[in-house]
Amino acid sequence: MIGAAVSRTLGSRGLPWVAGLWLVVLALSPLYGDNYIVKIATFVALYGVLALSWNFIGGYAGYPSFATGAFVGLGAYAGAICQNAGVPMIVAWLLAAIIVAGVAAAMGPVILRLRGHYFAIGSISLVEIGSVLASNWSGLTGGGEGLNVRFLPGGPDFIARFFLYAMLVILVAALATTIAVDRGRLGFGLRCIAQNEDAAEMVGVPSTRYKIAAFVLSGVFCGAAGAAYASWVGYIAPADAFSILLTVKVPVMVLLGGAGSVLGPLIGSAALVLLEETVWARFLDYHQAILGAIIVALIFFLPGGLLGLRLRWRS
Amino acid sequence: MNTGRSVARTGRSALGILVALLAIAGPTAAQTVRIGAPLALTGGLADEGKKQQVAYDLWAKRVNAAGGMTVGAKKLKVEIVSYDYQTNEQRASQIAEKLITQDKVDFLTAPFGSGHTKVVAGVAERYGVPVVASVASSESVFNQGFRNLFGTLAPNAGLTDGLVRLVAKQLPATRRIAVLGREDVFPKSMAAAMVDAAKRGTLEVVYNELYPVGSMDFSAPLAKIKSLKPDWIFVAGYTKDLVLARKQMADLGVSAPVVTMVTGPAYREFAEALGPLAEGVTSATWWVPALAFRSDDVFGTTQAFTADFQAREKGEPDYVHASAAAALVALQKAVEKAGTLDKAKVRDALAALDIVTFYGPIRFSPNGMNAGRDLPIIQVQGGKAVVLQPEALKQGTLRPMK
Repeated sequence: MIGAAVSRTLGSRGLPWVAGLWLVVLALSPLYGDNYIVKIATFVALYGVLALSWNFIGGYAGYPSFATGAFVGLGAYAGAICQNAGVPMIVAWLLAAIIVAGVAAAMGPVILRLRGHYFAIGSISLVEIGSVLASNWSGLTGGGEGLNVRFLPGGPDFIARFFLYAMLVILVAALATTIAVDRGRLGFGLRCIAQNEDAAEMVGVPSTRYKIAAFVLSGVFCGAAGAAYASWVGYIAPADAFSILLTVKVPVMVLLGGAGSVLGPLIGSAALVLLEETVWARFLDYHQAILGAIIVALIFFLPGGLLGLRLRWRS
Repeated sequence: MNTGRSVARTGRSALGILVALLAIAGPTAAQTVRIGAPLALTGGLADEGKKQQVAYDLWAKRVNAAGGMTVGAKKLKVEIVSYDYQTNEQRASQIAEKLITQDKVDFLTAPFGSGHTKVVAGVAERYGVPVVASVASSESVFNQGFRNLFGTLAPNAGLTDGLVRLVAKQLPATRRIAVLGREDVFPKSMAAAMVDAAKRGTLEVVYNELYPVGSMDFSAPLAKIKSLKPDWIFVAGYTKDLVLARKQMADLGVSAPVVTMVTGPAYREFAEALGPLAEGVTSATWWVPALAFRSDDVFGTTQAFTADFQAREKGEPDYVHASAAAALVALQKAVEKAGTLDKAKVRDALAALDIVTFYGPIRFSPNGMNAGRDLPIIQVQGGKAVVLQPEALKQGTLRPMK
């Protein structure tokens, strides 16, 4: 109701302001909350990055990718290994983003030949491959023992704020890219591919190139976010870095908010993280069951995501 | 109109009562010692997380029944503040932050998983909150230079050296050893420690491999081991893996005079799941109920702890229960010695601790791990884990497997 009313008054032109306002709310969290609240805000920003990333391939191009966990894990390991080799932290994050983009560009032509369920399975296997590589390539990754990342010195307040703003910078970059894609040729082409790939090809959309571009975009910010996360926690291990849970959670967030739009991923990621947090804090014993029920209900009753509320109100 | 006014009046009086209640509750709420516990109550490590929970609760009940913990001139009740971290690293780090900043706990305990222990310790280190870890025995958990992390288990090498000595003494014909370990923090470190110990003890390591996490079939490594005809087969993994490996060994006809599984027989679930197949499997562990330590801690003796446990749960406690309770005993001793809840002073008291508890001696090395000692070696004989070593507690002698 309220969401619908808000968007009715704002109209579609007002929506970017909602995004801006949301960024401000997150950025100001150190002023109104303790470090735990700041940590949640950081996680909201982190998941915002991942959801916006997934939106390129899953939302615009309509390819159900489950590679998010692989990109995050690869970014975490790439960043950690670079940092331990003496590369300054921020440079290591950038390198991680470049490495992940490179891997996505190399893997894209292979797995983007698959469509629908086959593509989903192909992309989820990347997570598993990453995990197996990380646990068996002991010389480079420390294997099952995991990898220590240089511990950034500083008090808890400084660390909390530093990583909040680091995640927000990555989030702004992902958001700006989304807006550019949404309004540009690439976004148009990807929407055509999502509707009918063969038809798109016929009217001159270079579908292979566009799909690879979307896949790379869906990886690059995840890589940076993964590397930043590794520096934040100070330790990574294969099973937690290459997380199947994460790879499934991010598409749920985007579907929750509304796929193939600028705001949907932001709304969905914020809604799911905050929902998880509230449900978890209130119902210690049954939180997972309750969360599952809420997700099922949302998907049943809001197939277009939370943004779809607005459309329904209008019609 | 009338209704509106009466609603307003009711609201006002309700508010008044609430304020009064808060005013009463405020000053009477006595100060307690709050200890934060991120526990894996769901997810992959749920069984182990529940063991920690039981042990913490045993300790807290016992301390509170005795009037509380002595802090300077006062006796304060203790309170365990716990959350389920769902065996999820991200959740573990979030909960550590929540416990410190919102629940304002004085101290923390570490969760079961080795990696999760590191993540929680990383958060606590920034706040200078002491963390006691009850089930981390791999040195890699303690290699980040954290000043506030203390673990009650002794390093893995303490287990393997004792095993090699015992086998060399009682079955001197043992020459060739095959080592199989799980690619995971604790089992991997255990397998590496075994290989080192074997080499020091002039054994020949004929096989040394790791299996990936989540393996559902050990027939390939076992077939290879069979072809090498070792005298000693050593497998390091978690209970589920070990049960499967032992069953497959029987199916494939793989055998050796000595079969060691770590931590296998240290958990009673191992022998329960395997029945006759568990017979003869040896292991080393940090603690068994047969130990007989006397101490001035809240439990007093090993027997008292075991009796307390049995009165509450079915069956005997294992080293996870004992070590978890011992971690809190160590914390209590450090607080009592420091005479304050000041985190930095308690941290220093923990570092300087040198005590004997119901669980055994506790003295932390510079890296935060409990110093090594003569650790128990056990073998399943007649369906029960029997102590072979140390000499003082000996319940049986090492029997070769058929």
